[in-house]
Amino acid sequence: MQRLSAIVTVLLTLAGTPAAQSPPREALVRGEKFWDQRLARSAVAALESAARDRVTAAEAHEALGRLYTFKGWQQENVFPGWHDEPSFRAKALSELRAAVAADPSRGSAKDALRTAETFDAAESVDPAPPRPEIRAFDAKIASAANVPDLLAAIEQRAAAQADPAPFFAGAQSLIDRGEYDRAIAMAERGGTASDRFIDENLSAYQLTGKSQGSYARGRATAADLVGWAKFQKKDYAGARDKLMEAAQLSQDQDFLNQFHLGELERAQNAPARARERYLTALSLAGGPPPLRQRATEALTGLESAAVAVGFDAWLETELTRRRDERKAEALNSLVDRPLPKLPLTTVDGRPYDAKSLQGKVLLLNFFASW
Amino acid sequence: MSIDEDTKRLQRYLSEAKFPFPVARIDATQAQQMMRFDNTPSTFYVDRSGIVRYQITGGEAHGDSPARVSWFIDQLKK
Repeated sequence: MQRLSAIVTVLLTLAGTPAAQSPPREALVRGEKFWDQRLARSAVAALESAARDRVTAAEAHEALGRLYTFKGWQQENVFPGWHDEPSFRAKALSELRAAVAADPSRGSAKDALRTAETFDAAESVDPAPPRPEIRAFDAKIASAANVPDLLAAIEQRAAAQADPAPFFAGAQSLIDRGEYDRAIAMAERGGTASDRFIDENLSAYQLTGKSQGSYARGRATAADLVGWAKFQKKDYAGARDKLMEAAQLSQDQDFLNQFHLGELERAQNAPARARERYLTALSLAGGPPPLRQRATEALTGLESAAVAVGFDAWLETELTRRRDERKAEALNSLVDRPLPKLPLTTVDGRPYDAKSLQGKVLLLNFFASW
Repeated sequence: MSIDEDTKRLQRYLSEAKFPFPVARIDATQAQQMMRFDNTPSTFYVDRSGIVRYQITGGEAHGDSPARVSWFIDQLKK
């Protein structure tokens, strides 16, 4: 009898676990979790399947409507390279109307619909503010007192939002603490997370060059961190492989990576190559001031033509030359071909008459307000 | 040449930026295909006979200094 009641208890417990949820309910929960993590493609797939079942339709349509509201009006620069997607605005409104139609008593859906309608009528909508819970996790990573706390904080932050930032910040922090092998594993996870995060939100980038640039930046950051950790381990051959991989991905245009390569060349007694890397680093914008200072100091210590003209003048000449070379490399493709006749309109949509531009030297700048 | 899809946003941007040159609009996909670029900003310099002479992609390469922009224009005015 005692055994029987134990079995009954087990069965009752099983019935109460999430594993016993109906498939549509399970898809709804999964979809909402994916969107919390900002994994849009997986979220949409799960929520669309939940929306097809009558029981979960109202909740799923509301979740889809909230997702499209965010994408349509509120995602500008929430992550680097993300832009609002006006094509989702009509979808946001129709999903939220479907939610209200499926359950007219659903207050949260009515609220969400009112918000979307307000956005639709508004002159401008501010991007979504930073999420306080994500900020709190980031702060925990930054202030972790020891390695176990740091690792726990990274996992918490990664579970809450799927972008690669916690892995990259964590890898850097592990390097600073001398935990090089852990740093390498963390940086590699960051690279994988970065690819997935972009895949899941591909349409937010709007131009293929922008998404390609984001993929390359994530992979370059991962490779640079792995290389820098290997450098600290004095695995110079391994460091060179990864730092050079990062240099190729960032097209020699990342300050930190060029600085790291300078440090590597200096450690390997290659002053000429070290000088080139430090100069390339300093000719780029960005990089924290203390590291720019260190690069400049490293240069003063390297033998160079600086002696003859004075260090400052020499440095300025070298940096200008590098910037000019970059400018030359950026020239390509339509060059030496006739300008095609472009289907232009005025800003308010009337045909644009380009006759007055004929026979003039033109500068055409293609831009977007985002 | 703005490739903005959202005209309200563009109007607001233009009223803030007050550019001293004409601004036209073009569909982003058409512009990319016809002008062969895949990132913004992209800048083209065209000579008096309508031949594209220089193409610059991105801001870093030349957009950080009026002197560098002038250099391209001066080359074509020679």
